[in-house]
Amino acid sequence: MNLIRMLLAASCLWATAVLADPPPGYPFVGFDAGLKAARASGKPIFLYFGRYGCAWCDHTNKKTFSDAALKTLYSENYVLVYVDAESGKRLTLPSGERITEAELGVRLQAFATPLFVYLTPQGDKIMQIPGFKTVQDFVDYDRYVRGGVYKQKTLLEFLGGKS
Amino acid sequence: MRAAALLLAMLAWPAQAAWTWSEPLTVNSAHGAAVFPHLESANRRGVAVSGDTVGVVWEDNRDGNPQCYLAMKPAAAAAFLAEVRLSASDCFEPVVLALGRGRFVAAWEEAGRVHARILPGGTAIRLTEAESVQVTLALHGDRLYAAWAEQAGRFHRIVVARLALANDALSVMRAQPVEAQMPSEEQGWPALVVAGDDSVTVAWEDRRYRHSVPLVSHSGDGQTFTASARLTDHKSGSVDGLGAGSGAMRPTLANWGENGIAAVWLDKRDFLSGYDVYAAFDPGTRRFGPNLRVQDSFGDNMAQWHAQVVGDAAGRLVALWDDARDGTSDVWLADWNGEAFGDNIAVPAASGPGAQSDPVAALDAAGSLHVVWLDRDQQAGTRIRYAHAERK
Repeated sequence: MNLIRMLLAASCLWATAVLADPPPGYPFVGFDAGLKAARASGKPIFLYFGRYGCAWCDHTNKKTFSDAALKTLYSENYVLVYVDAESGKRLTLPSGERITEAELGVRLQAFATPLFVYLTPQGDKIMQIPGFKTVQDFVDYDRYVRGGVYKQKTLLEFLGGKS
Repeated sequence: MRAAALLLAMLAWPAQAAWTWSEPLTVNSAHGAAVFPHLESANRRGVAVSGDTVGVVWEDNRDGNPQCYLAMKPAAAAAFLAEVRLSASDCFEPVVLALGRGRFVAAWEEAGRVHARILPGGTAIRLTEAESVQVTLALHGDRLYAAWAEQAGRFHRIVVARLALANDALSVMRAQPVEAQMPSEEQGWPALVVAGDDSVTVAWEDRRYRHSVPLVSHSGDGQTFTASARLTDHKSGSVDGLGAGSGAMRPTLANWGENGIAAVWLDKRDFLSGYDVYAAFDPGTRRFGPNLRVQDSFGDNMAQWHAQVVGDAAGRLVALWDDARDGTSDVWLADWNGEAFGDNIAVPAASGPGAQSDPVAALDAAGSLHVVWLDRDQQAGTRIRYAHAERK
């Protein structure tokens, strides 16, 4: 009986992980913990703004974030933050303002999920990218962000001129 | 035949409600770049009109941590009186209802528990000893109810309570979960209405279908609730095996006519254009009908936020929200004209340059509309603004 309960509980956890939330195996944390970790480590923040049940988030998780090399690249070089577009969970912005995770979507003018936001270690926004993206897209964004190219060029200029 | 149909349609179409607006007033006395007021609450019950006194509640961090406040403005006063602090420790998402003759009942979350208090005077009471959030209130006659989301195992579930009111004292007569079983997923953001027949309707945001779906339940006596049903007529589900469905969130309810109820919420069924404002009506049958999109075509390709519906026993009904169709966030409203929601109208003082958002509203006994919103300015700080309007 206990085994059945454990299996049921495990299947519930699995369903939750598959249907929503960040991709499995990545060290995503909440907004406040992520901002604190980024300030301490000096790493930029990669914020995954997803929605519980979001089909395109699921698609991106399966098609893109399943790539082992991408997982290593982002896990090692970014503080990974996950925010739920409809959650009432509270977070504190770098300004000190406390808002809900859902309200962050208003501030980001989020049109659709997933929305990927790159932030400096201090929490200042570098850029935000909506919708499904490929492994190569995320590799390019990493070069743009961690290479500091964003300080001189727009993303379009960078992508147009990349070799 | 077509001309006759057109004529009938025109006759059935009440004159577009045009509103005459008062000069706006600032509600909050503490402003500054580091002071952040918020009007968020379950069912967005942030303003009420009791007799000739307007009451507004909000949360801000002027004292270093989030606290809840109430400001009142008697009709004879030119400005809002100094605000009253409702809370002693971290406070969020306050709501207010009118009790008549200048009296109010407010409720809020403080230190992880929901509280309520009669104002002026009165003493705050805890509505439950359990961890609880997102409280809201509803009243009809002497029937006062509260609803909140209460921790039950891993998740929150919706609890409805009948409150007793004796002079300035409040007490909980009985509190019970809408559903007896433990929640299998998160429930939150309850909206509550007591209809003219004294029945109680509660709607909330529910994740049992692995995405956010507004559910609704009714009770004839405030004790036994019907099985929960979807408020939406959109059968959201996974697409090609991906995800679990498009979300819909933050349901709000309002009395509509003698026994009817109107619901408005944010809905992502058209997932390419952000959330849209949708509505449904229960004419008194305790069953919500087909869903209607509230915003007009000018707002179609724009995300809507912070939607609310306000109505009254006379059948007046107004939906409000904010969106940035004109470049920056403005507060919009749409009147129900008996057949559909009319053209979207920007609230004059809550539109134009700058960011105006987060409307909360109430109709008073005469049908005047009272609207409160946030006017954001990064340098000067955010002001809470208020205006009222009468139909021409």
